[in-house]
Amino acid sequence: MEKMTFEEKLKHCPPAEVWQEYCGFLSLSLPEYMNIQKRLLMEQVQLMAGCALGQRFFKGHVPATVEEFRARVPLTRFEDYADVLLPQREEMLPAKPVIWLHTTWEGGDFPSKRAPYTESMLETYKTNILAAMLLATSHGRGHFHVRPGCRVLYSLAPLPYATGMFPDLISSEIHLRFMPSVREARKMSFGQQMRTGYKLAAKHGMNLFFGMSSVLYGATRSLNMLGGEKAPSLRSLLGMSPRMIARLAMAKYRNRRDGTELRPRDLFKLDGFVCVGTDTALYKNELEEAWGIRPLEIAGGTEPSCMGTETWSKNGLVFFPDACFYEFIPEMELYQEMETPGYIPKTYLMDELVAGQKYELVITVLKGGAFLRYRVGDIYRCLRLRNPADELDLPQFEYVDRIPTVIDIAGFTRITQREIEQVLSRSRLPVESWFAVKEYDEDGHSFLDLYVELKSDDEQAAVLDCQMLQELLSVYFRSYDGDYKDLKRLLGMDPLRITLLKTGTIARYRQQTGRRVPPVGAPREIVLDILRLQAAQEGGAPA
Amino acid sequence: MTLNERLFIVVPLVSLICNLLLLLTVLFARKNRLVNSFIVLLAVFTAWTAGSLFMRMTVWPGPSFWYAVSITGIFLVPFVFYNFIYCYTDAKGSFVRVGLMICWAVIAVLNMGNCFITDPHITIQNGERRFEYGISPWVAVPILLAVFTFWMAWHLAARSCREGRTSLHQYTPMIVGVAVMFAGTVSAVLPQMVSLPVDTFSCCLNAICLYYMLYKRRIVQLRSFATNAPVYVLAAICSTLVLVNWYGPALRFYDHLLPDYRSYRTIVFAVAFSAFTMLLCSLLRSLMGNLLLKSSEEQEEEVRQFSVAVNRTLHLEELLGLYRDFLQQNLPGQVARVFLKDPATGCYRMQGSTEMALANRDALPADHPLVQLLQQTGHGITYSEFSRTRGFRAMWQQERRRLEEMDVTMILPVLSGSEMVAITLVSGQGQGRAHRRTSLTGQMSFLESTAAVLAIALKNAILYEALEKKAQHDPLTNLYNRGYFQEHIREEFEQCRHGQLSLLLISFDDFRLYNELYGSGEGDLILQRFAQALSSLADGRGTVARYSGREFAVSFPFGSAADAVAYAEQARRWLNEEILRSGEKTRKFLTFSAGVSSYPACAGTVEELFTYANMAVYSAKTNGKNKIIRYKKESEDKRIAHSLKSKRALAENCASTIYALTAAIDAKDHYTFSHSNHVAEYAAALAEALQLDEEHVEIIRQAGLLHDIGKIGTPEAILTKTSRLTREEYEIVKQHVEASISMIRYLPSLDYVIPSVLGHHERWDGKGYPRGIAGESIPIGARCLCLADSFDAMISRRSYKEAMSVRQALDEIRRNLGTQFDPELGRVFIDLVESGRMQVFQDTV
Repeated sequence: MEKMTFEEKLKHCPPAEVWQEYCGFLSLSLPEYMNIQKRLLMEQVQLMAGCALGQRFFKGHVPATVEEFRARVPLTRFEDYADVLLPQREEMLPAKPVIWLHTTWEGGDFPSKRAPYTESMLETYKTNILAAMLLATSHGRGHFHVRPGCRVLYSLAPLPYATGMFPDLISSEIHLRFMPSVREARKMSFGQQMRTGYKLAAKHGMNLFFGMSSVLYGATRSLNMLGGEKAPSLRSLLGMSPRMIARLAMAKYRNRRDGTELRPRDLFKLDGFVCVGTDTALYKNELEEAWGIRPLEIAGGTEPSCMGTETWSKNGLVFFPDACFYEFIPEMELYQEMETPGYIPKTYLMDELVAGQKYELVITVLKGGAFLRYRVGDIYRCLRLRNPADELDLPQFEYVDRIPTVIDIAGFTRITQREIEQVLSRSRLPVESWFAVKEYDEDGHSFLDLYVELKSDDEQAAVLDCQMLQELLSVYFRSYDGDYKDLKRLLGMDPLRITLLKTGTIARYRQQTGRRVPPVGAPREIVLDILRLQAAQEGGAPA
Repeated sequence: MTLNERLFIVVPLVSLICNLLLLLTVLFARKNRLVNSFIVLLAVFTAWTAGSLFMRMTVWPGPSFWYAVSITGIFLVPFVFYNFIYCYTDAKGSFVRVGLMICWAVIAVLNMGNCFITDPHITIQNGERRFEYGISPWVAVPILLAVFTFWMAWHLAARSCREGRTSLHQYTPMIVGVAVMFAGTVSAVLPQMVSLPVDTFSCCLNAICLYYMLYKRRIVQLRSFATNAPVYVLAAICSTLVLVNWYGPALRFYDHLLPDYRSYRTIVFAVAFSAFTMLLCSLLRSLMGNLLLKSSEEQEEEVRQFSVAVNRTLHLEELLGLYRDFLQQNLPGQVARVFLKDPATGCYRMQGSTEMALANRDALPADHPLVQLLQQTGHGITYSEFSRTRGFRAMWQQERRRLEEMDVTMILPVLSGSEMVAITLVSGQGQGRAHRRTSLTGQMSFLESTAAVLAIALKNAILYEALEKKAQHDPLTNLYNRGYFQEHIREEFEQCRHGQLSLLLISFDDFRLYNELYGSGEGDLILQRFAQALSSLADGRGTVARYSGREFAVSFPFGSAADAVAYAEQARRWLNEEILRSGEKTRKFLTFSAGVSSYPACAGTVEELFTYANMAVYSAKTNGKNKIIRYKKESEDKRIAHSLKSKRALAENCASTIYALTAAIDAKDHYTFSHSNHVAEYAAALAEALQLDEEHVEIIRQAGLLHDIGKIGTPEAILTKTSRLTREEYEIVKQHVEASISMIRYLPSLDYVIPSVLGHHERWDGKGYPRGIAGESIPIGARCLCLADSFDAMISRRSYKEAMSVRQALDEIRRNLGTQFDPELGRVFIDLVESGRMQVFQDTV
């Protein structure tokens, strides 16, 4: 059958048809949405029933309905698949994978997790990415502005991370000028790719931006590659296109006249701006201010692929109906599970949610994916059940954070109890007891706050202070965790802060309250109580 | 007349004719806002060209008038063009439109007073007549307004493209037309072009371009040119031109040829002119028809023929065949698959295709997104349109892959009312994309007309088939019924004339009893289950039918009697297992007797097959039931003689058998013996009083004699016990009813008493045993026995109780009317006793 590419559709079909094909799902009613979800889930159940991996979860009884599926199949984590997915045992999977994508396995036995992608999954991934691209350039339902041949600055993690698939998927559908080109980018490190991309953008301009929000935020703040306060050199001007030179000159003139700083919006007129990353919500306003266009956030990951996008109003994610089957664990259920070992949390479907409630996402990857009722570890807030302003009849979400037991920093690294234990063990520091929480600085940027008690009888302990501990542990974190190292290298961030506690404070708190202090992600009230206890011991106010 | 003058007449004349033709065709199109705006535009173009032409020809009332017509037309062009685009893009808001209309109306009026361009001044230069105009500097105002108006029209079109209501390529003819008109109008004022009528020529081209634009959008059709009005106009114009040019020479020719008939010249010419016009009209119509209508007329004819053909048949297969042929003929190089709705599951199963080599293995489930979409929209759709719908995301990968493998280009529902009875999938061959899109739209409307014709015929055929199936099938078991089986076995007999054919008849033993014991619901269930088992056991070897209420028939074409017997054995094993599986506390009983006859071994005709199989069944019944008997011709006479004899003997021995049985009771329990006699008499008397027929009274009497026969199996200690019975003992006593039935069913001539015997301990209020049935569900014989039995038991003395007086017994019966006893029968019984019409057998105290 003759199939048109996305570019051909843009040229030959009315815009309304293109919109309908890619973004038509935004016109679905909730019952229609659920119908698609349930129908595709039953397809996945049938595929799973025919493979060894599926039989493992179905235990000889293939669910005939969605309700039966949810009642019989347990909630899963990567550990349940590790023996099949890490050695890439394709014969056990429901469909033959085309590619295996990797991601960090925080707190796992191996450094990375692997996820198989079938042809159908990639097809859906591609359609959904193109939908996000249309939405990024849109300013209302059906109004978009995507042109073949436009320049795209691309700063997302390369293959084998899921975001590395973007250029490959898009370039088969539409001719876009990636900066640097896809072929060149493959030979570069992530850092090199970013630097080259920014240089090319400065020379020729850009129309679309795909990037990690934290990376872009870092680049936006420094903006060194564009000349900053200094006048651009003649050599750098020679490489620039006349249009960019004119823009630069105009921008410089306006900056001098108004006494303002050069901002990206003065140089670039972006049609679309797509951001990925867990901390996107933090940077969105600043990025909009700097670039003159509000970034469109997309949700996804290695296991679920691209599963959600914001709409033209860029104020809440909508999940694609055909990427995954979604279930949601309410926050209360999550805490009950943490406090009661063996407790199985209840899940709810898209049409059973409550606005304002936080949920942990549980997905079943459709189209031959390997994951059934898989706990990705992400927390989303249901912003609203429908959006009358956008005439949207579907729930919208915002990404909140990782689950409390994982500390995500700028979307780069995910720190778990296991990692901290390893770092402390390698450092050979005389640590008696510790716990870690995620905190935000005055600019709203996340960091890891490690509360440490040193051994009172150790000689070393007497000479160690917070600064020394931070420097020492940073070194070990960087050596243990490559992503942590990138955080420092690419963004110039050192997201570690140490709070020293008096020896025995944590134990005393436990004795007094009978409550256990979770090593990672302790609730805020526990942290405050511990600090009060320490202050009381020292006879002062809490820090 | 110079060449230039001729040009100024010919070109506007051609333009005028073109504009008039277009106008006439559009006048006959279906009117809407857009068509009306186009009519106005063409009218303005016509005014422009007609004014220009008649001005040059100095036609009455004079050049000034025709100039005013022409220039007003020219000045109105920008606004009517804007108005046309406004309607074409379906734009909203009328402020600009009204503003422009007023402006242009004012300008047109002002120009009447020669504000912008003065009236033409006619000069003769070198023998050539020229029209010279005076141009005021104020002419810049309408020019600028024209630019602004065209710019606003373009803005409307661009906005429509941006919003996705129209696409840019739709405006290509318009852009070309306006560019040509603009170039023509501007160049008309150039010195080099002033002597050429480029403005009217460009106006005509623009009209054609805009007409094409509407044609592309399927608002007007080329076939409109072949309608009467344009043909008449064209014929009139042509004949007038011929007359104008050839009148002089023709006159001379006539005078030269027929000088004597000069006085008739006018009449001859008038008739000749009329004849010529008619001939021309006919020729033009034929020409236009051949050029423009041929394909659509052919299509209409195809549909008409198809409609006639499909209305001649009510057979689904035949109908599908016709549809297949139609598709094959009209979709050359394409494959069409027809899917019919399965009413049981709601899914659509492939029933055939235009390519014979394709297997009918595809099905579209009821929840298939494509099915749901077609049901919602009710019209055909191309695959690419479907792939853009929201529901497309719900497609399973294998469903999507299958449609892509089939290379489906068009999907067409066949709707009858609100129900979609069929779906046609058309798979296309590769063609150019643009051509494909246009041709698909054309094909779609053609096929939709066909589908509309097919829908009614298909619905009728499906109904007819359902009725036919209903007429051939037994509704309970879904097997063939007796009528169809008898017809069918004749066909099989013809097929097996040189081979063999066996017939098996299966009849359940005591099926009425089974129904009585376990209820007719259970009876129906076992019939259904047994029918299913017979069908699956036959597995295509033979035809299974429900021959009568409790009888099944199975024919085995090319099968021997041994095959039929083996099959019957399998069926018997199945029935035994089924009965064992039933899980009741007491084991159910159900057996069958079967008879087999075969051609040519014993029967020579179909009738003989049935007769002999029936005789074999009868033989099995009278020889202890639960048997399979193969009919053998040599023993026929003997068997008949034996059967008749035994039947007669049984009838004669009936009374003695009953007394023999009751004597057996007497030996065990004398009370029961005399009690049975009394009960028989009371019950018979009651039955007589109820005016039941003689035979029924006799049955009730015999039932009375046998009603406690099962007590033979009850331990003597219980029967003669003087104290109150324990619960266990009472349960044992209760079993005497079923024990009685078990004994009576082995007496074929007495089985008619079973319903009465079985129900004599049932109560009117349903609290009795063994079945707990109530009211009139209890057979009338049983109700009579119940009264008689109770009455006699009350007035008899037993080892454990004294006898009650008749009065007391009747009072007791009266008290229990409506609970234990049938109130109506009870009152008759009491009346019989009290009036002395019933003899009472009471023990002397």
